[in-house]
Amino acid sequence: MKSLSILAAAFVLGFTAAAAQAGAANAADTASLTVTFKGVKEKTGAILFTVVSEEGYDGKAPAVAQDMLPVSADTVSKTFTGLAPGRYAIKAFHDVNGDGKMGTNPFGMPVEPFAFSNNAVGNMGPAKWEAAAFEVKAGANTQSIDID
Amino acid sequence: MDRRHFLSALGGAAATAILTPEIAQAAAQMGQGGVDWQVAFADLETDVPRTGMKLVQGRAPQGLAGSLYRNGPGKFHRPGGSVKHWFDGDGLMRAFRISDGAATMEARFIDTPKRRADAAAGAVITPGFGTPAGPGAKIRNNDDVNAANISVMPVNGELWALWEAGSPIALDPSDLSTKGIKTLRPDLQHVPFLAHPRREAGGDTWSLGVNGKQALVWRLGPDGAVKSADMLDLPVASYIHDFTATKTKLILVLQPWVQDRMVMPYNDSFTWRPELGTKVLVVEKDDLSKRRIYELPSAFAFHYGSAWEETDGTIRFDGCFSPDSRFATENGKALMTGTWKPQGAAILNLVTLRPDGRASMESTGVAAEFPRTDGRVAGGPRRYTVHATAAAPNAPLFHGVASHDWKTGKSDAFDFGIHQLMEEAVFVARPGGSDELDGWLLAPSVNTKAKVTELHVFDARRIAAGPLGTWRADRALPVSLHGAFVRA
Repeated sequence: MKSLSILAAAFVLGFTAAAAQAGAANAADTASLTVTFKGVKEKTGAILFTVVSEEGYDGKAPAVAQDMLPVSADTVSKTFTGLAPGRYAIKAFHDVNGDGKMGTNPFGMPVEPFAFSNNAVGNMGPAKWEAAAFEVKAGANTQSIDID
Repeated sequence: MDRRHFLSALGGAAATAILTPEIAQAAAQMGQGGVDWQVAFADLETDVPRTGMKLVQGRAPQGLAGSLYRNGPGKFHRPGGSVKHWFDGDGLMRAFRISDGAATMEARFIDTPKRRADAAAGAVITPGFGTPAGPGAKIRNNDDVNAANISVMPVNGELWALWEAGSPIALDPSDLSTKGIKTLRPDLQHVPFLAHPRREAGGDTWSLGVNGKQALVWRLGPDGAVKSADMLDLPVASYIHDFTATKTKLILVLQPWVQDRMVMPYNDSFTWRPELGTKVLVVEKDDLSKRRIYELPSAFAFHYGSAWEETDGTIRFDGCFSPDSRFATENGKALMTGTWKPQGAAILNLVTLRPDGRASMESTGVAAEFPRTDGRVAGGPRRYTVHATAAAPNAPLFHGVASHDWKTGKSDAFDFGIHQLMEEAVFVARPGGSDELDGWLLAPSVNTKAKVTELHVFDARRIAAGPLGTWRADRALPVSLHGAFVRA
């Protein structure tokens, strides 16, 4: 169960390494992505999330998009525009107490809700890239994630 | 007449006159071959509503009224795959309720994320103590694998079903329904809580959350609220199932079954390293930095009795020790395939930690497991340990109950014979009494001949006289692990 601490660390690293806002807005064939978080139980704090490529999923590249969505309802969403089509995944956590960090217990296990795109769930750690990855095509795309 | 019938025909007084130890042993071994002990490890498929038990012998003692709650694994097999270890069955809470001389029995599965996931998959996919993860296991945190199947702690009008690597799970005592996972403090969500908390007489409850070479020391008030939760560094990453305490000290026995990796199933993370011996870490309850380490020979134990400190600073406690971790790694699994490799029972030993730093372990020679004591003397000087006893090497569990008198060294024991598989006996104080062990023992058993669960009540100070009363249920429940009594 120690491996869960890696999950928490991955979130922290993911955010510190992330580039600001959406990038790659250079071609006509860009994509938009609407990310919706549903099932929020505690309407406080914010949902912090990153949209990452496969390299970014392992923390080896900056995020292509990220945001901090204040939570005021049980569903919140955000649309990014100008994304390059490709395969992406989303890592998210609900910063319930608003301290900007993913809370962990003294053994490094997450104590704030977290989720991945496709609602992928890991086995004693983060969900695998293969389970969380989804295709973003030119035009409008949506990704709905249950959190909490 | 074949040999078995010949031996079984040697009944009554004649048997005691004729039976030599060798013949008794031979008879026991042949007899065990005929014991259907597997009935005590069979799946329970559905919850059992409250049902009257039949008084088949004796009567209920005056003044005995309340509920004996017991936890233990209750379902092991699913069509697409089964648990690989007894300790990984779904938590099943039982209640034996005694009122006006009558008894009832009921049982309800604890509604854990693990049970839901396994039921939905039609297979045991959730990893555990000795079971690997199956395809599709989704585990966000350790409470997703929490079997809630070891013990039960009554607190503040709730029952907490306890595992040892996850949170308590709260139940309603009135109908055993699951209320949910108990987060004792938001920042301590999912921190493990051992299945063997130590309750001070009329005071606080202590428990541990163990993770490798660290333990979080829980201190809860009588209402179950967290009073403190501090980290304690351990000298070795031992498997810790239980610990003990005096009034002022916590005592962690760090046996040489050591975690050297993190894999599933969990017990594969540990290696038996007898060359390390056993370390005993003693810390002050009020200042965890005040610590002392004692050395004992290598041994394995699941359970200890409560400890006491003498005026010169000598600390004593007992435990049920085996030579190695073989039950945890081998026979616990064998049980799930209906087999058993011959293995000697754990033996009751007294550990002594001396003020000069020396430590020793003295064997009573008595087969023992599930040690319990009178909770009113917890942490202080005491005379008695109650335990299951009478084991045969070629079958699991025990068929007797006993108390050990540390003053005289005498054992007060009753042996039901090989067809009763005894569960842990719980002491119930006699209303108005105050002397240690003035009260009763409540102990269920699985009667493997009748294939039913029975509940026995003993005078705790006259165990050898046999049960004062025995009730019989209409079915056998899987054998349970640990229980607690709540007075009516």
